[in-house]
Amino acid sequence: MLWDKDDLKKADIVLLIAFSGLLVIGLLIIYSATHGENLDINQNFSKQAVWILIGWLLLALVTMLPFKVYHEMAFPAYIFSILLLIAVLFWGSGAGVKRWFAFGPFRFQPAEIAKIATLLFLAKYAADSKRNFKSFRDIAVAFAIVGLPTLLIMKQPDLGTALVFVAMVLPILFWAGLSLFTVFLLIAPIITLASAFTFFSFFIAMVFIIGVMVVSGRGPKVIIPNFILNIGVGIVTPILWNQLHNYQKSRILTFIGLEQDPRGLGYQVLQSKVAIGSGGMWGKGWMEGTQTQLRFLPEQHTDFIFSVLGEEFGFLGVLIVLVLFFLLLWRALNIAQSSKNVFASLVVIGASTIIAFHVIVNTGMTVGIMPVTGLPLPFLSYGGSSLLTSTLLVGLILNAGRRRFQYL
Amino acid sequence: MNPGFSQKNRVIIFRLFYIVIFIVLLVRYAYVQLIQQDIYYRQSERNRIRPITLEPPRGVVRDRFEEILIDNVPAYSVYAIPNELSSPDSVFAFLGDLLDIPAEEFHMKYKRDRRGPFQKVKICQYVDFEALARLEENKLDLPGIVYGVEPRRFYPSGVRAPHLFGYLGEIDEKGLQSEEYADYDRGDIIGKAGIEKIYEKILQGKKGYQFVEVDALGREVSVIEELKSQPPVPGLELQLSIDAGLQRLLEQKMDTLRGGAAILNCQNGEVIALVSKPGYDPELFAKPITLKTWKELTNDPAKPLFDRMVQSGTNPGSTYKIITAIAGLQENLINPEEKVFCPGYYRLGRRTFKCWKAGGHGSVNLRQAIEQSCNVYFYRMIQKVGLENWSKYSRMFHFGEKTGIDLTHEFSGSVPDKTYFDRRYGAGKWSTGLLLNLTVGQGELLVTPLQMASFALLVANRGYGYRPHVNRIIKNPATDDDQEFFEHQPLIVQGIREDVWDLIHQGMYDVVYGVNGTAKRANPGKIRVAGKTGTAQNPHGEDHAWFIGFAPYKNPKVAFCFFVENGGGGGAVAAPIARAMLTYLLREDKI
Repeated sequence: MLWDKDDLKKADIVLLIAFSGLLVIGLLIIYSATHGENLDINQNFSKQAVWILIGWLLLALVTMLPFKVYHEMAFPAYIFSILLLIAVLFWGSGAGVKRWFAFGPFRFQPAEIAKIATLLFLAKYAADSKRNFKSFRDIAVAFAIVGLPTLLIMKQPDLGTALVFVAMVLPILFWAGLSLFTVFLLIAPIITLASAFTFFSFFIAMVFIIGVMVVSGRGPKVIIPNFILNIGVGIVTPILWNQLHNYQKSRILTFIGLEQDPRGLGYQVLQSKVAIGSGGMWGKGWMEGTQTQLRFLPEQHTDFIFSVLGEEFGFLGVLIVLVLFFLLLWRALNIAQSSKNVFASLVVIGASTIIAFHVIVNTGMTVGIMPVTGLPLPFLSYGGSSLLTSTLLVGLILNAGRRRFQYL
Repeated sequence: MNPGFSQKNRVIIFRLFYIVIFIVLLVRYAYVQLIQQDIYYRQSERNRIRPITLEPPRGVVRDRFEEILIDNVPAYSVYAIPNELSSPDSVFAFLGDLLDIPAEEFHMKYKRDRRGPFQKVKICQYVDFEALARLEENKLDLPGIVYGVEPRRFYPSGVRAPHLFGYLGEIDEKGLQSEEYADYDRGDIIGKAGIEKIYEKILQGKKGYQFVEVDALGREVSVIEELKSQPPVPGLELQLSIDAGLQRLLEQKMDTLRGGAAILNCQNGEVIALVSKPGYDPELFAKPITLKTWKELTNDPAKPLFDRMVQSGTNPGSTYKIITAIAGLQENLINPEEKVFCPGYYRLGRRTFKCWKAGGHGSVNLRQAIEQSCNVYFYRMIQKVGLENWSKYSRMFHFGEKTGIDLTHEFSGSVPDKTYFDRRYGAGKWSTGLLLNLTVGQGELLVTPLQMASFALLVANRGYGYRPHVNRIIKNPATDDDQEFFEHQPLIVQGIREDVWDLIHQGMYDVVYGVNGTAKRANPGKIRVAGKTGTAQNPHGEDHAWFIGFAPYKNPKVAFCFFVENGGGGGAVAAPIARAMLTYLLREDKI
C-alpha cells in the first residue's frame, strides 16, 4: 500500500521542520548573494526555488515508497551507477575534468546517483544476517563495494566527492556490528600516515596506538601484526613522499590545505574568514554584507554560501543553522535506533553520515579548519543536483522513520 | 548485530561524536566572529574602501578687462583596465581608428604606466565629446576600455597667443624627481611653458580626496558619505595685463608675417599685448596630440613653437642708433648742432660703408640724423663715442640681460665689448669697422624684441622704467576681494640729463612728423607718436623691419616694439601696424 492516512502523523515532524527551515534560509541567502544586474546569476534564486519544488515532490515520492523497493533496487542501481561512472570518464563533458553528462542546459553528475546507489547496496550487504564483521573477508568485501566507485570518481578527478564514499563505510559497518576496536585498527594507519613526517609526532602516534591496543586487552596475535603494519606505514610514507615530483607534492599539500596559493584557495579562505569574522554577533544585515555584495567572497552562492550567512546574519545565524543541522542528524539517529528494519536502519545511518560529512567539511572549510574540497553545503548551496541528492537522503530517513515498526 | 555491544551504546558513540564536532565548529565560529571580529571587520573595510584623489579645477586666466582667455571645458580621458583587456592589439587598433590616433601611442603608454591588473591605465587624454560618442557606440567591441571626465584647457576669447599662454602636459620623469614638483604624482598635468608653467603652483590648486566603495574587481561602486572627504581647493585665477582686444587686432594684422609685437604700459611695465608669429593653435595641446603633429611643429622651418619676442636675439638695426646718440650727448662727445655731410657712403680705410639712402642725406645734424636714420652720421659719431662708452650705455639700458618678464626661456641677448673683441679677434687686431656695424645695430649685437620695447619705455619715461610683466592680479575665485596685485619692479637708468632726453625725444618725434621722417606712416592723427625705425640687414634674405616708439609724445602711456622678419624697411612695414594699434586704442578710448 502506497498511501497511509496516518503518514503525516508518523513522519518525524522535527526533522521535517529542520529540513524546511534550512531550505528557506538557503533561499534567502542565495537571493542576497546573486541579486543584482548580472543576468548570468540573478536568475539563480528562481531556479533554486524551482529545484526546491521538484525536491518536495521527490521527497513525497521517496517517503511514500515501501522500503523493500529500495532493498530490491539496491544491486541493479549499484551496477547501473558503476556503468555510468565508467561512461562519464569516456563520454563526459568538461575540459580535463570529466564529471558530468550534459543534456542541453541540464547537467547530470553520475557521482550523485552513485552516492545513493552505493549507500543502498552497502546497507543491503551489511544488513544480511549471514554477515560477520569479525571476518576479514566480509570487511574486505564491504570496502570493495565502496572502493570501486571511489576509485572511479577519483579518476574524474573529484577527491571531495570520493571522500564522501570513504566516509560512509566505517559508520555503516560499525552500526552493523563492527567492533569499536576494529574501527580503531582501521583508522590507526591513517593516523600513522599523517604523523610520519617528524620523528616526534610519529613517536607520539605509536605510543598512542600501542597504548589503545594494550588497554583493549587483545592478545599479541592481534597487537604485533598491527604494530608492524603501522611502523611499516610510518617508514614507507616519507620514502614515497620524497619520490614525488614537487608539483605533485604541492598539489597534495594544497588539497589538504597545508599549502595555499595567494590568489587561489588560500585567497578564497581568507576572504571567507574576513566575511564571517566581520559579521560579528548580529551580522551586517541581509543584503548588507560588503564582502558578499561587492564580490570579494568567491563562490558565494555555492561552496561559500555559509560565509554569506556568517557575514550577513552573524554568529546568531551560524548558530541557528548549525543547530538545525544538529537537530536533523540527532533525529536521524533516533530513527536509526528505533527502526526495526536493519536495512532501513543502516540506510538512515549512511544517509545521515553523508549529510554530516558535507556539513562538517563545508562549514569547517569556510573558517579555515578544513581543506577546500569543493563540497557544497546540503540544502543551502545553490545547485540542483546537490539539492536533489540531499533531499532524497532526507526522504530515505523520513521513510524509515515512518515505518520504523515494520520488520520488512 | 553484535550482542556484546548494544545498539544503544553504538548510538551514544554517534551522538557523542556529533556533539563534539558541533561544539568544535561553534567554538571556532565564536572565536572568529566574536573575538577576532575587529581584525576581520577592519580587513573587510580595507577591502571595500579606497581613497581617490579629486582633481581641483585649474585656475582661469583673464585679460585686464576680465575677459576669459583660458578656461576649462570637460574633456575625456580613455583608460585601459589590464584585467579586462584580453587582446590589447586588436582593441587598440580599433580604438586608434575611432579616435584617429596611431595605436602605437596606446601601446607605449599602456606598457609604460601599467601598475596592476585592476588599476586603470590612462592611454589617451583630451578626447572630445564626438569621439567619445563613437567610442560609446562601439563599447561592446572595446572590452577593458573605459573613460572618465578630465577638464581640458579652452581658449574662448579668440586670442591665440600660444607662446604667452604656454600649454599643459603630463609631468615627466625628470619633473617627478625634482624638488620643485615634490608633491606631484605620476600622471599629473602641469604647465609646460608660458604662464601655465610660470604660475603652475598658483593655477594648480590643491587636490582633495574622498572615499569610494569598490568591488572585488576594483570598480568604483559608490561614494562613502560617512567618511569625511577633503574637497579639492580650486586653483587661483590670474588676471593678465593683456588687452584681449588689442591682442586680437595685432594677431590678425601680423597673421601672415614672421615677427611680432610687444606693447607695454609706460606707467608700470604691464605687457598690454605680446604677439609672436607664426604661432600655432593652443588648442592643439588641449587635444590628443599625435607624434605626427608634434614633428610637424618642431620641424617647421618657420619655427612656430618659438617665441620670437622673448626667446630669440637678433640685430636691432637702426633703432639702436639712439644708444650712440644718448652716450655721445651725455658724455659731451657729440655736439648736437654739428653737421655731418652724407654722400651716401662712408670710407674707412679701404672699406666703404653704405648709407641706406644711396644718394646721401646731405648735411645733417643729430636731430636730422635720427629723423632720417642717416648711417654716415653715426659712423662718424661712434668713433668719437668709442666702443667702451657704447658698451657701457648699452648695459646701462639693460641690454645683454633678461628683462625678467614672467615667461619661460627668456633670452638675455648679448652686448659685445672690448674684452669680447680682444678675446675673439686678438687684442688690437680688430678694426673700427666692427664698431661702425654696432652703431647701426648690426654685427655681434643681439637683442630681443621685448628688450627693444622695454628700451622704448625707458626712453619714453626718461629713464624711469619698469620690468615688463604679463600678470596683473592673482585672484581667489572663492572670495572676490582676495586679490594679490603684482608688484611692479622699477627699472631705472639714472643720471641722463634732461636736455639729452629732450633731444632724443625731438629726434624720435621727427621720425614720424619730420618732412623726411622714416615713419610717417605711423601717424595716427589725433595723438602724437615718437619712434625710431630700423632695417636690419639679413645675410640670409630680406631685411628685418623694426619700429620702436611711444605715445602720446608728451605724456607717454604705451611703449612698443614691432618686428617683422624679412619684412624690408621698418618705416614701410612696421610703422603702419603701429598706426593701426594707436587708431584702435584711440577708437576704444583706451589711450
